[in-house]
Amino acid sequence: MGDLLAPANTLEVLLGNEAVARGALEAGLNVAAAYPGTPSTEIGEALAKVAKLVGIYFEWSANEKVATEVAMGAAWSGLKALTMMKHVGFNVASDAIFTLAYAGVTGAMVIVSADDPHAHSSQNEQDNRHYSESVGLPMLEPSNPQEAKDLTKEAFELSSKYKIPVMVRTTTRISHQRGPVRLGEITAGFSKGKFVPPEPDRYLQVGAIARKHHAELLGKLKEISLDVAPSYAKVEGASDAEFGVITSGVAYAHAKEALKLVNVNAKILKLGMTFPLPEKDIGEFLSSVNTVLIVEELDPYLEMRVKAIAKDYAPEVEVLGKLTGHMPRVGEYTMRTVLEGLSKALGVVLPVNFAEIDSRSSEILKKVPPRPPILCPACPHRSTGYALRRAAGRAAFMGDIGCYALLFQKPFRVEHVTHAMGSSIGLANGIDVATDQDVVALIGDSTFFHAGIPALINAVHNKRKMTVVIMDNRITAMTGHQPHPGTEVNAVGDEAPAIDIEKIVRSIGIDYVKVVDPYDHAATEKVIRDALKHDGVSVVITKRECALLTVARLRRQGQKIVPYRVNPDKCTYCRVCINTFACPAFVDTGSLVEIDPTVCFGCGACVPVCPYGAFEPQEGSLNWREQKIGV
Amino acid sequence: MSVREFNVIVAGVGGQGILFTTNVMARAALKLGLNFAQSEVHGLSQRYGSIRTELRIGSDVSSPLVLEGTLDLLIALEPLEGLRQAPYISERTTVVMNNHVIPPVGAYLERFPIPSFDEILELMRSLNPKQIMVLNAYDIAKRAGDYIVANTVMLGAAQATGVLPFPEGVLREALEEVSPSRYRDLNLRAFDLGRESVSPPR
Ligand code: SF4
Ligand code: SF4
Repeated sequence: MGDLLAPANTLEVLLGNEAVARGALEAGLNVAAAYPGTPSTEIGEALAKVAKLVGIYFEWSANEKVATEVAMGAAWSGLKALTMMKHVGFNVASDAIFTLAYAGVTGAMVIVSADDPHAHSSQNEQDNRHYSESVGLPMLEPSNPQEAKDLTKEAFELSSKYKIPVMVRTTTRISHQRGPVRLGEITAGFSKGKFVPPEPDRYLQVGAIARKHHAELLGKLKEISLDVAPSYAKVEGASDAEFGVITSGVAYAHAKEALKLVNVNAKILKLGMTFPLPEKDIGEFLSSVNTVLIVEELDPYLEMRVKAIAKDYAPEVEVLGKLTGHMPRVGEYTMRTVLEGLSKALGVVLPVNFAEIDSRSSEILKKVPPRPPILCPACPHRSTGYALRRAAGRAAFMGDIGCYALLFQKPFRVEHVTHAMGSSIGLANGIDVATDQDVVALIGDSTFFHAGIPALINAVHNKRKMTVVIMDNRITAMTGHQPHPGTEVNAVGDEAPAIDIEKIVRSIGIDYVKVVDPYDHAATEKVIRDALKHDGVSVVITKRECALLTVARLRRQGQKIVPYRVNPDKCTYCRVCINTFACPAFVDTGSLVEIDPTVCFGCGACVPVCPYGAFEPQEGSLNWREQKIGV
Repeated sequence: MSVREFNVIVAGVGGQGILFTTNVMARAALKLGLNFAQSEVHGLSQRYGSIRTELRIGSDVSSPLVLEGTLDLLIALEPLEGLRQAPYISERTTVVMNNHVIPPVGAYLERFPIPSFDEILELMRSLNPKQIMVLNAYDIAKRAGDYIVANTVMLGAAQATGVLPFPEGVLREALEEVSPSRYRDLNLRAFDLGRESVSPPR
């Protein structure tokens, strides 16, 4: 991690997300709240780390809507507030945000939406630029870490000037891009504000009042489009060029280099604000060229609006992009994407022979086995998956969002569905209504707090029959180990009341509740079989901390991680271990199974899997189950 | 110091310390006042799947992603993952490759044949890179004190090839700065052993 508190005027290596955090600190941030979600997470991690030093308030909230409301409360009390989320997190928060746009703020509020083209770690490729337009909030889009910092700071300034929340949109390659950032002065710190609505009906959005505020909002946006948006529209390149490119965000970075490589006479219009758009500047740019290529990831958001503007300003100009088939609509952009688009648009010869590269490398890639993400060695979810497969192999499995979604893979296949946060239990309600199948909902601890509880309450009240497996690994693991309401510490490392999942479950009237260590495969299997027989909602909590936490703790304590081994005299090469447990440390030599000592964490969870007892500890190996490590 | 463009990919399996290795190089670039852009993967994508980071250094750089066919240095912490970068490798590429193959367990379930290290090396050669350095990074790391610093061994070896646009001292300092204090000495030992393993440093 870069040093978020490095002094002003120095250059520091910052991740795009850290740069956003720094920008907020320079803007005078007071309060920030978020729920972790890739690619937005490190903004919160950076703030959590420095919160006490700088004296700001930061929390990991139960979900994005709550986080937004925490920030809103602060911004309505005259403070500067920040919330950030991944694109799909915005869907959760949107219920509050649509109306927030009408209400505005008295202090300042910035909402960061981190979109994920290519769905690197997401369930879809949602384009949140549409949100800014439909919600009615201005949107700034940085194209590198330096701009991520600068624009976040400017977003706060705009927000306090226009009394409107401002969105900053990043995409994966901005969030997770590291680069040199020139720093400014930090002015952040917490102080109490005062909640006094600027006028009595400001925050009461009902009927007539909401209509009044809607009209006001549209007025502000008009003003911003005329007074602010033009300052974010930058033209680069040859002024006499007849070919132009309109772009924003990381797509600009690719386009800039690609144009240099093909050496065509071109100019670029780079938009730092993508809502509201600087109509006149775009119109003038269009009138100055014959052809324009729109370079943007995901939806043809700019393309459609540019076309509409062209109709008024330059009806002759040719607008090329996704809709004309020059640029792809799916996946993230690279320099190659842009080069290929340019070659289609202009017929230029490319500096790189992609066809040759493809034919040469495709032969080689055919021989490289795929390596999709897989549960870590020692992951407790693997053990839960193993027990579920044996105990409930025929059930309909509703999965959820978390590392355990990887249990959809062979050999477990106990995730038929991964949809949205908390959907596993909600969907199990529906499947149980509609079928006679056994239904199992799998959900993690953090996800349970985020959106699982209402669905579970629904199941009880509506007398559903289903088994809910809550895989409690004591942390929000997938995003990099953020605490949640069930952990004993909060975001900034202070002790916090841990909400007891078992007690919540019992308190809503579920009487079949069992807590089990998933490493105890036999017990877990038995409990699940039992739970499936229960008439009504049954809950099995498989509780064991994320293996990465255990390993980190053992290493901190100075313990050596000593791998297990396979006793070659006992291994019959039946491959049962690979076919049912598939730990990434297993190596199939063709005549034996071995354990790769560079991968094995030495947990011993494989021991009960081998029918011949071939997995053995080595001198110094621990047995996490017997020694109750991580339970 | 001025560099027009220098492209590095660090490839391997999640958990091998790929991000750390790249961060050290980025820190070295910063120390020399070079412009750079680095791109990395987070989240689900790092759960023991294929991962790689891209680092582009130079005055002309604005995109954080390497263009196919223009790689200068490939650091492959795992050989299969090195080979997976085939579209990026060309005559201008120096390859520094660990010889320890980590077969993806999923391949066994799909009965996908896993090439041996020698086969991987041969395929790598067929791409005609400028040079290929092979080392047993895990053994060397164990000699330094712990196999978890195999990534730093690889970094030392990469430095010894002489293609990186940093003097050795700067990269070593960057390593010192980026290392958590608990691992600092271990990392420096691993770096030096990695450097010595590539002989002779021209
Ligand atoms: S991060 Fe933790 S929960 Fe996620 S796969 Fe790894 S061990 Fe399992
Ligand atoms: S289950 Fe046991 S005997 Fe069978 S291959 Fe695995 S280690 Fe060998």
